[in-house]
Amino acid sequence: MKKLLKNLFAFAIIIFPLFMISCEKEQTATEGTVLVKLNHGWGMSGTSFALNTNLVHPMNGDTMNFSKYKYYISNLKLKKADGTFWVQPESYFLVDLSNSASSSISLNNVPVGDYTEISYTLGVDSARNVSGAQSGALATTNDMFWSWSTGYIMIKAEGTSPQSTNGSFSFHIGGFSGQYSAVQSKTASFGSNQLSVSGEKNTEIHFNVNTAMTWCNSGSCAAVNSVMMPSALSLQMATDFNNGFVFDKIVE
Amino acid sequence: MLQGPFFIPMKRFSLLIILLAVLSCRKENTADNSLSPAYPDYFPAPVYQFNNNTVNKDRFELGKKLFFDPVLSLDSTISCAKCHAQVHAFADHNVSLSAGINGLLGTRNSPSITNMIWSPTFMWDGGVNHIEVFSVAPITNHVEMGESMLSVIRKLNNITAYRTAFKKAYNIDEITDQAMLRALTAYMSMIISAGSKYDEYRQGKTSLSASELDGLNLFRQKCAGCHSEPLFTDYSYKNNGLDSVFNDLGRETITTNSNDRGKFKVPSLRNVELTYPYMHDGRFWSLREVLDHYSNGIVISPSLDASLQHSIPMTIQEKERIIEFLKTLTDWNLVSDQMFNK
Ligand code: HEC
Ligand code: HEC
Repeated sequence: MKKLLKNLFAFAIIIFPLFMISCEKEQTATEGTVLVKLNHGWGMSGTSFALNTNLVHPMNGDTMNFSKYKYYISNLKLKKADGTFWVQPESYFLVDLSNSASSSISLNNVPVGDYTEISYTLGVDSARNVSGAQSGALATTNDMFWSWSTGYIMIKAEGTSPQSTNGSFSFHIGGFSGQYSAVQSKTASFGSNQLSVSGEKNTEIHFNVNTAMTWCNSGSCAAVNSVMMPSALSLQMATDFNNGFVFDKIVE
Repeated sequence: MLQGPFFIPMKRFSLLIILLAVLSCRKENTADNSLSPAYPDYFPAPVYQFNNNTVNKDRFELGKKLFFDPVLSLDSTISCAKCHAQVHAFADHNVSLSAGINGLLGTRNSPSITNMIWSPTFMWDGGVNHIEVFSVAPITNHVEMGESMLSVIRKLNNITAYRTAFKKAYNIDEITDQAMLRALTAYMSMIISAGSKYDEYRQGKTSLSASELDGLNLFRQKCAGCHSEPLFTDYSYKNNGLDSVFNDLGRETITTNSNDRGKFKVPSLRNVELTYPYMHDGRFWSLREVLDHYSNGIVISPSLDASLQHSIPMTIQEKERIIEFLKTLTDWNLVSDQMFNK
């Protein structure tokens, strides 16, 4: 009889967690998914951004034909109506305009509730720039890493332009420390239209990204067709890119 | 109530669980996969923290395989070991500048890469901030190995032996750049030079000759301000008076600060007897030339280190003593240790 009890006990220990798991599944959802949708435009007149297409810059008049446009966004967090934050773990995304799926960022397991703001970092925070070999979006195979002066490239834009003296352009904008650090954290308030996460359907946060903004102060490619390291100009371009990254609306 | 038939399998089940638990414990203890960097107590704590990359035999062996494998280069001709040879304390084979793919020459001398886990930065200009990401630089440099990281990882994933070795060392089915970089780090972490005559002297196992001791004392007076013991570098960036017009801006390349013009990372002097030619561009072929530089060759420029403004006066005999001492820094055990061989 004693043995029987003992075995029963062992059985209960093994089975109990299984019950727990199955119970949890049956309850009403406590978490939901939020999608951050990035709509990439060129200028303010409604032109969509496209690679391998001649795009005329609205301010300096350059014709730019992009073969590559990639950038990092990281550390997404949502502010609840009560002032606390939901912070996405391992939150690093490489938006690559040759891959449309990367323009939709999924925030999974967001607790049900109402949210008033989203915060994010354009670029990669300094901690991940100084901690050795990373993985996922931060893998060096993504070719967004400066090997000769350690650090992630925040924006990489390359292509051709008839205005450029050598016919092409190459802008690698980055740097995570010092006076020219390109890494900038931003917050976008949802204003009157709160984000409510219900767990039943996905909610979307839309951003308009004006990809032309990066060159709104840099002048024509005729003057500068290459940026390869942090400088006052690269910081200006990073700031301009950030200013072109604007919250649009919540879509339920 | 629970009845027998249900019950017996449960009993077997718990037995199975216990057995599995025992087995998995055993695995960790019996298979002796352990390997860890060892160094004397007068060494400081290493800078590299081994986070998620504890060294063990599997990781070390994998890193060694990668270090000797030209597959990391574009045309499979150049391995890390080509420019970092054990017989030269992991510096290049006595050339000023190293040849990479297609015989292309770089602009800097290949340094000895011992005791890397103590180095806070890498490269002559300190541009790389972590040993794990270091290897991206030679692999992707167009005059060294000329490859892309993506292509290297694709190539490795097509080699069964590597897939097996990565599975064993890092428990992954698909080889990643992160695991490759960590494996190379595991190998480099073990390249520790702490077995020289100087070390035996520090540990009371041997004594230095009168002239070597003389040399040590002179060294402590004249050189240790930058080449500080026991690693024989303080890892700072200094202009030691080689030039006044700089082909290579050195530290300024990284900081863009003109005060850093012509400053280079103070190199360790361990194994210096084996690592000639000397300086970032390999301009001096003997230690005597180096000492003549410090006594009579200092070139004045705005960033010249304050301690060298008036050169380092030394008699011929003093120079000879210092050189005798520097030769006690040669680690013959390290350069012949089979463990690091292919
Ligand atoms: C073509 C020759 C060549 C090859 C191949 C090469 N290196 Fe180097 N290595 C150099 C040179 C030259 C430097 C100095 C670079 C500089 O300062 O700009 C260096 C520097 C280093 C350093 C930094 C040492 C310090 O004290 O700062 C490490 C570590 C290193 N190499 C490891 C490796 C590894 C690992 C590989 C293979 C993935 C490799 N090297 C391949 C020539 C080479
Ligand atoms: C002010 C700091 C400083 C002092 C003092 C100093 N050195 Fe150096 N030493 C350096 C720096 C920096 C380098 C690398 C310079 C370069 O390559 O541009 C170097 C390079 C060397 C090298 C070449 C090592 C190699 O692997 O290429 C040797 C050898 C050397 N020093 C020996 C000495 C000796 C011996 C003394 C004392 C007589 C001394 N140094 C004093 C800063 C110093």
